[in-house]
Amino acid sequence: MNSIKRLTALTRAGVMESLQFRLGTVVTLFGNLIYLALVYFLWKAIYDSCGSSVVNGMTFYDTMIYLILATAIFNFLEMFIIWDMSRSIQSGEIILHLLKPMKYRLYTFWSYSGTHLISFFLTFLPTFIVVMIITKGAIPLGWNFLFFVISLTMALIINFNIDMLVAPICLYTESTWGINMVKETIVLLLSGATIPLAFFPDSIRRVVEYMPFRAVYDMPLTILLNKDGANTMNGLLSMLGTQLIWCIVLTIAGNLFWNHAVKRITVNGG
Amino acid sequence: MEQTKTLKKKRGLLFYISIYRKILIQDLKSKMSYRADFIISNFGMIISNMSGFVTFMILFHNFPSINGWNYYHMLFLYGFSLIALTPVQCFFDNNWNLRFMVRSGDFIRYCFRPINVFFYFISEVFDVKGLGQFAFGLGTFIYAWCHLGIPVTIVTVSQAVIFLLTASLFMIAIMNAAAATCFWIINSGYVMVIMNRFRDFAKYPASIYNKVFKFIFSFIIPIAFVAYYPSLVFITPDNVPLLTWLSPLIGAFFFYLSYKFWMLGVRRYDFTGS
Amino acid sequence: MANEVVVMKNVSKEFKVLNRHEGLKGSFQDLFSRDYKIVKAVNDVSLTVEKGEIIGYLGPNGAGKSTTIKMMTGVLEPSSGEIEVNGMVPYKDRTRNSENMGVVFGQRSQLWWNLPLIESFKLLRDIYMVPEKDYKDMLELYKSLVDIEPIIHKPVRQMSLGQRTLSDILAAFLHNPGIVFLDEPTIGLDVSMKAKIRELIKGLNEVKKTTVILTTHDMGDVDALCKRIIIIDEGKKIYDNDIDHLKNYFGSYRTLRMRLEDGTWEEQVIDEKKTDVMHVIQETQKSHKIKDIQLEEISTEEVIRKIYEGSKAYE
Repeated sequence: MNSIKRLTALTRAGVMESLQFRLGTVVTLFGNLIYLALVYFLWKAIYDSCGSSVVNGMTFYDTMIYLILATAIFNFLEMFIIWDMSRSIQSGEIILHLLKPMKYRLYTFWSYSGTHLISFFLTFLPTFIVVMIITKGAIPLGWNFLFFVISLTMALIINFNIDMLVAPICLYTESTWGINMVKETIVLLLSGATIPLAFFPDSIRRVVEYMPFRAVYDMPLTILLNKDGANTMNGLLSMLGTQLIWCIVLTIAGNLFWNHAVKRITVNGG
Repeated sequence: MEQTKTLKKKRGLLFYISIYRKILIQDLKSKMSYRADFIISNFGMIISNMSGFVTFMILFHNFPSINGWNYYHMLFLYGFSLIALTPVQCFFDNNWNLRFMVRSGDFIRYCFRPINVFFYFISEVFDVKGLGQFAFGLGTFIYAWCHLGIPVTIVTVSQAVIFLLTASLFMIAIMNAAAATCFWIINSGYVMVIMNRFRDFAKYPASIYNKVFKFIFSFIIPIAFVAYYPSLVFITPDNVPLLTWLSPLIGAFFFYLSYKFWMLGVRRYDFTGS
Repeated sequence: MANEVVVMKNVSKEFKVLNRHEGLKGSFQDLFSRDYKIVKAVNDVSLTVEKGEIIGYLGPNGAGKSTTIKMMTGVLEPSSGEIEVNGMVPYKDRTRNSENMGVVFGQRSQLWWNLPLIESFKLLRDIYMVPEKDYKDMLELYKSLVDIEPIIHKPVRQMSLGQRTLSDILAAFLHNPGIVFLDEPTIGLDVSMKAKIRELIKGLNEVKKTTVILTTHDMGDVDALCKRIIIIDEGKKIYDNDIDHLKNYFGSYRTLRMRLEDGTWEEQVIDEKKTDVMHVIQETQKSHKIKDIQLEEISTEEVIRKIYEGSKAYE
């Protein structure tokens, strides 16, 4: 199976490249831990000042774990796709990639996959372990972890597709930072990564729940933490199902949009 | 024309200011010629600031106060931090490009002119969208100022200006140091992204931390000085800690350290980028 | 020695390079390894350059040319040895050294990308504190040497490679430096552009007596501009003398070209001291009919190649 060989080769190359960045990995981990401290103190103070230990169904520990892991997931999901692609387009390098026998989207996905693997083991897991230690095991460990990994993989695909949808917009408008900032802001805010969705006023929350962003952060986290909605088989399956739907929808949309964009790139000759 | 023996030509502050002005004007001219990017970037900045606001509102929708700091106190801190974060955004934005130029070897072009390399590099880029942030910050700041009933006198206004300026030095120092790591490590982009994320915490009072972390965020990654310490002059005018009064000195010191670190990177770098 | 612009004495430059291992397992090892090897990019090089000379600095890729230039311009510090440029140590006195120096790197422009050329010139005039009169005179000189009208108001990003190179060279000479370093200035250019640039450099050198150190792979540059060449290979200097001397050195070499009956040309380099030309012709006639013969001086390129090979033969 030639294509599987190609894909694993790409992942392998990505892993090797990732490992070259030794100090960089340490730095990301370190940064996560400091951020952990920040979140801890902030929310401790917030909960202390408020007088009740549960707000909107979230305890202090809930909020803290949620936000820290959201950041860990953010690091994990982060692919400088938009930036790399812009640079690639500007330098004309992208033509080389488009000429390669493998489909560009697939190629991009798998070349980042190596980075993701390393990132998962070297930054997400240690962060997770530290959180477990600090909260004295507040995160339940069981089947939910397996479902979490599935959910996270889908979140990865969804995030990838969102990025791939946004990147050609940068191409059309010749503006990278602005578009990326808008995308990131919206994704982080509406997915519950900046502040847990549980805190949103009801009216807003209901609207947000229909958007795909929730599937990137909120859902995997809810599954991992076995919170409301994921602690029953029904709830769990419906969450995973929603993610799957978003995966498919966005992959199709991404494909269409991308093919259209490729035409434009090739017409312009880089 | 004879070639004269080289005398060290004096290049003082006035020289640098005039050169900076010229380079700046050219950068602005060329940025504005990319219309779409110009508009979208400013739009992006506004969206980002609005999201910050929304987050803030949601937070206070659920929690009326933090550590004794109420809504208007926090708003003041928020506005103050946005203003203090503007200089680093506007004037020192080229730091984000440092790692690419160093890796590709293009950085070497900054080393052949008889002007300070740091100045030359930093002066090339002025980020207009930072002005959007400034507007947001100023608006919030003034709004909170009024609601907190802080008197408007020559003293308080000049204090505001001075402390805002010195507060900005801290974030500048942090980003200089973060950018300079690219001379030693490959994945310095992450360092910068992390430091950038810390700036979000400048808008929270440092009183929430325990002793150890208060120390870290005061003296190692000094985000506490970006808004918290200076703001105390206005929020608790009867009880201003010594650190606040010292902050201009500390700020200058941090800036100097970060500059030295940056230049150290330039010297030690092997320039084998090609 | 007031006439010596550049003096290098026993200069060496070493770099630490991480020993990388192969494969996936190797990459894991590299994460924790402290295994470095020392690479000597420049190995005990000594040379002097006098005022007003145009020196060709040649060598195969990776020979250490760029590293030497970087040391002369003050960007790198030598691991050992001494360098003096215009009486100053470039590394120690970077700013002062830069006042009197111009640099052009073939592919990397130092001009402001979005600015029309004239605006770049004005900025440079301010940065180098060039007196207004000198600046105007220089522009006049430029106008007399090349046609700058088509490019003077163009932003660098809109220029062709040739125009960009031309602009970079003009910018390098603008403040009337004592010495200019040109690193592969004609790379990637078409023949007519190369000729224009060579004429410009020659003209500026003649009028302003600027010392020029030129690194290049193009023998055309060498033939047109340099009276003296220095060849460096694997960090060591293997030749330092006039071009004429080179020709004398290899004066007995000829290139023999014979046109065969099928129209193709066969070429052979012959050392007349060792081989008889007639003999070679007669040998060839045994298997081919010769329609035409050309006997030429050996080209500079061939000579240089022989020197590279020669230096290897002594190892």
